[in-house]
Amino acid sequence: MQQLLAAILTMIVGVLACAAYFWSTNFILDWIFPSKGLSGKAASRNLRITNAIRPWLFLAPALFALTIYLIYPVYQSVLLSFYDRAGVNFVGWSNYFWMVNDGEFRQSIFNNFLWLLVVPALSTFFGLIIAALTDRIWWGNIAKTLIFMPMAISFVGAAVIWKFIYDYRAEGAEQIGLLNAIVVALGGVPQAWITLPFWNNFFLMVILIWIQTGFAMVILSAALRGIPEETIEAAVIDGANGWQIFFKIMVPQIWGTIAVVWTTITILVLKVFDIVLAMTNGQWQSQVLANLMFDWMFRGGGDFGRGASIAVVIMILVVPIMIWNIRNAAKEMRSH
Amino acid sequence: MNPATRSPLMWAVHLSVLLIVALWTMPTAGLLISSLRDKDQLAVSGWWTALATSSRNAVARAPSPDSQVERDGKFVISGNILDGQAGQISAFGFSSREPAAFKAGETAELSGGEKLTVQADGSFEIVSDTRMEGSRGQRIFFTAAAPPRFTLDNYREVLRAEGIGASFINSLTVAVPSTVIPILVAAFAAYALAWMPFPGRAILIAVVVGLLVVPLQMSLIPLLKLYNGVGAFFGVPAKTYMGIWLAHTGFGLPLAIYLLRNYMAGLPREIMESARVDGASDFDIFVKIILPLSFPALASFAIFQFLWTWNDLLVAIVFLGTGQDQLVLTGRLVNLLGSRGGNWEILTASAFITIVVPLIVFFALQRYLVRGLLAGSVKGG
Amino acid sequence: MKRSFLMGVAALALVVGTADAAELKFKPGEDSKFNWASFEEFKKGHDLKGQTLTIFGPWRGEDEALFKSVYAYFVEATGVDLKYSSSENYEQQIVIDTQAGSPPDVAILPQPGLIADLASKGHLTPLGDETKQWLLDNYAAGQSWVDLSTYNGKDGKPALYAFPYKIDVKSLVWYVPENFEDAGYEVPKTMEELKALTDKIAADGEKPWCIGLGSGGATGWPATDWVEDLMLRTQPADVYDKWVKNEIPFTDPAVTGALDEFGWFARNDKFVDGGAAAVASTDFRDSPKGLFASPPKCYLHHQASFIPSFFPEGTVIGEDADFFYMPPYESKKELGNPVLGAGTLAMITKDTPAARAFIEFLKTPIAHEVWMAQTSFLTPYKSVNVETYGNPPLKKQGEILLNATTFRFDGSDLMPGKIGAGAFWTGMVDFVGGKSSADVASGVQKAWDAIK
Repeated sequence: MQQLLAAILTMIVGVLACAAYFWSTNFILDWIFPSKGLSGKAASRNLRITNAIRPWLFLAPALFALTIYLIYPVYQSVLLSFYDRAGVNFVGWSNYFWMVNDGEFRQSIFNNFLWLLVVPALSTFFGLIIAALTDRIWWGNIAKTLIFMPMAISFVGAAVIWKFIYDYRAEGAEQIGLLNAIVVALGGVPQAWITLPFWNNFFLMVILIWIQTGFAMVILSAALRGIPEETIEAAVIDGANGWQIFFKIMVPQIWGTIAVVWTTITILVLKVFDIVLAMTNGQWQSQVLANLMFDWMFRGGGDFGRGASIAVVIMILVVPIMIWNIRNAAKEMRSH
Repeated sequence: MNPATRSPLMWAVHLSVLLIVALWTMPTAGLLISSLRDKDQLAVSGWWTALATSSRNAVARAPSPDSQVERDGKFVISGNILDGQAGQISAFGFSSREPAAFKAGETAELSGGEKLTVQADGSFEIVSDTRMEGSRGQRIFFTAAAPPRFTLDNYREVLRAEGIGASFINSLTVAVPSTVIPILVAAFAAYALAWMPFPGRAILIAVVVGLLVVPLQMSLIPLLKLYNGVGAFFGVPAKTYMGIWLAHTGFGLPLAIYLLRNYMAGLPREIMESARVDGASDFDIFVKIILPLSFPALASFAIFQFLWTWNDLLVAIVFLGTGQDQLVLTGRLVNLLGSRGGNWEILTASAFITIVVPLIVFFALQRYLVRGLLAGSVKGG
Repeated sequence: MKRSFLMGVAALALVVGTADAAELKFKPGEDSKFNWASFEEFKKGHDLKGQTLTIFGPWRGEDEALFKSVYAYFVEATGVDLKYSSSENYEQQIVIDTQAGSPPDVAILPQPGLIADLASKGHLTPLGDETKQWLLDNYAAGQSWVDLSTYNGKDGKPALYAFPYKIDVKSLVWYVPENFEDAGYEVPKTMEELKALTDKIAADGEKPWCIGLGSGGATGWPATDWVEDLMLRTQPADVYDKWVKNEIPFTDPAVTGALDEFGWFARNDKFVDGGAAAVASTDFRDSPKGLFASPPKCYLHHQASFIPSFFPEGTVIGEDADFFYMPPYESKKELGNPVLGAGTLAMITKDTPAARAFIEFLKTPIAHEVWMAQTSFLTPYKSVNVETYGNPPLKKQGEILLNATTFRFDGSDLMPGKIGAGAFWTGMVDFVGGKSSADVASGVQKAWDAIK
């Protein structure tokens, strides 16, 4: 009970302190440079000053947190990638030389590209379809909740679930994996799915798609509902059918959000490691970069240099997406 | 659209949604059913068989010879191999080599000359002319048709675990501020990035996207070092709730800013212009217009951030510790699994216990994802 | 002001949790088979009231409760405020915590490879010559334990850094005695007999072995135990020692020979439940269940002493299921009775009086006997009363340990983490998948060369 009270108190204080920051700084800014009640030159001068300062007031806490929690570690990682396993002696580029010659690393790069091609596309596609379809039926919310469920299941739970799907028992024995049970029922030969090189990548991807579709669905569904009703009504009056409304009116309107969902899932794929760790740990040629990094980072005391150098590669892979986003933002600003 | 063309189309919609939902729910349904099953059955038969009457092979053990009674000059051990469970015996045997050698109702002669009879209802009798010896009861193999059998034992075991209530509160204490704080911080930043012109805006947006990719594991050691340094400097513990809120805030911010900025940038410009003409400052515009309009986006991000912090284990054990008073629910449940991490029955049950809270959050926030919020405000504003 | 208040509230939230109430499992002085004198003596010599001790260990669930019952005596004797914690990713967490400078006072870990790494990075405190002498004097085969606990420090000099506490025997083969009776099989005394039995069971149309290597991210490890056991039975112990240090390459005929011996069992579709293809993907926790199926799916299962936790509920060890010592080869009598084992080692990660006192506590017989009297604990400590072993099977395992002419620690734990918990595992998975022993060995050796 005491702990509960303390917990609630800490929560309220923490959240209030945060809200107080925004309110008070803006209050102070408006108090020092008032623009209301003043006339002409003074007002417009003050307005210009506040307009220059206020974005940074708005951004300050975010920039602070991003710097400490993400930029500083990135800086550390880049530095560490030039050091040896204990992070003590400078070794130059040798971690990177090791990497390009490492078979497992090349395998991971190949697998990662497979993942990047398949998972974001399918997750976004299913998410969009589901978001659009469930909007039109009375039990849409129930359907959405069921699709969302995989997102809410903790990862250990998800690993068990898929164990019961991909499990393999010998031919003739009773299958406890659903997939093999279906294969056997159709007269096929059971397979140890996650041990089949190359194809096992796809079986692992299915898991991530299964989870991430819920994410895409929620975000896209919020976007779809943000489309002003008037535009749809206008299209209906013009005699457009369902497909036309969806592809010609709705999709273009939420194109930005689709791109955002796609980007987010793409980046998540670069980071995916717990699925691979729990299902195969990169065995049977299913290694991916993030798991390889985790492996070098922590297994048996860890090799920080090599772990960090793999992390740097993961971060470099995201550069094209960053450039694309800069272009988009610049285009947006011009149109504003 | 007239009703005639609408109807088959709607049928198609209903059917395809049903199909997708069935596909997506199947694995989870398997987990749910598995969590209600006996732990020994999990590894021997598929979860879908749990729903149907199934034929199973099992072994039971008769009571030890201590329990024999003398009747009409013969020594008898009797009992029921189904042990109170429903079922129908079809065959039985006494050797592992021939577990189904006899049909129910038949009498088998055991190696020691005793006679074993097993009836279809599971009752059995071992009859011997002489007193039976030994400390172990006879093994009886049988094949039985068993109706579906479910148990809540797995849930009971998880919920009875010591300290689970405290862990539940710990998890809430971590998750709620770790959801609210980043949303507040990100909403202001997102507005600035979407609607306030200042130099370097595009670069900042790109930096945020780039930071999305930073692997969490990478940042743990430098950050914990920093925490230890700060803790030592102020003379406070390095691992506090404050610390983990900020950590979750930091890790969640890039996605929050990215999603919210995208949403806010899509809001109609006219609303803000008209407010500006009325003399509202950016702060007013943000609080009174943008924030309410962004509710669907805020709600959807809140759902995910809550989910991640609720299901997180790594950040919690690193920044909060694993002591009794800090252990979060995920940590507590994982500890239940024992040092070798087996016990799937506990995994299955605990997966459903942890899922409850995120689902409540999802339900609660789903109503903010309503259509017409935007349209209505445009008309009204 | 706001900040300090916030900190205060946060601190309050942390303090509120209550410490575990120390409840002693066996009342001091009551049962005479325990060495209570050692407890009283320790109690007199140590007073740590007001101090705290944090211990980080690998034990969770049931094992955690058992360890709790042991350290309750330490708390009772010293009055220390003891906090034990563990986590699923303890290996990862201890790396993070020591590297970041917030280690526990005492860490208990099962992987010598990881300990070697911590020692070389300077995160451990040497336990001193006194403890070394103590191990030599009091542990059976003391020198092998000292060797196991000696690592190179940051300065490159070897020192005793760890204290072995709690041993598991790995060289066990599990079976169901009544199934053996039904089929007329005998418990083999030699490896030749074990192979003959395997052939016989297969000839009877049954499957002799249940082998499962699946273990999520650690898939493959059960096979490394097999190979190590067979290595100890085909090669002298010093070859084994050279192997784990890579003084002989992985591609050495001694190593590939042991691999092929394992292959004889695991790569034959007639010898393994589910066929060779099922070996790699069957979970190690599921595989022993085949012993208890009706009809039995297999008759033999090679696994360490912990495996009964994964037997069906209600299985009585010694009656429903039993084990025998993985026998040595008749043809290699000179190798004696080697035993493969594993265990946990305690080390000081932060040098405090309480941490020192805890190591001293582990030297008392009572710290061993309390756990022995319950379950799953074996010790090479000569001064403990073996009558305290909680049940006959445990005592039988203790005897296997005592009769061992050679004891060797799990080799994969002694190898560097990237090999012993990486390349070796994956290599074994490839091996049962059909890759030749030479290819597997050269793959592992290549990985080893890469980290040198």
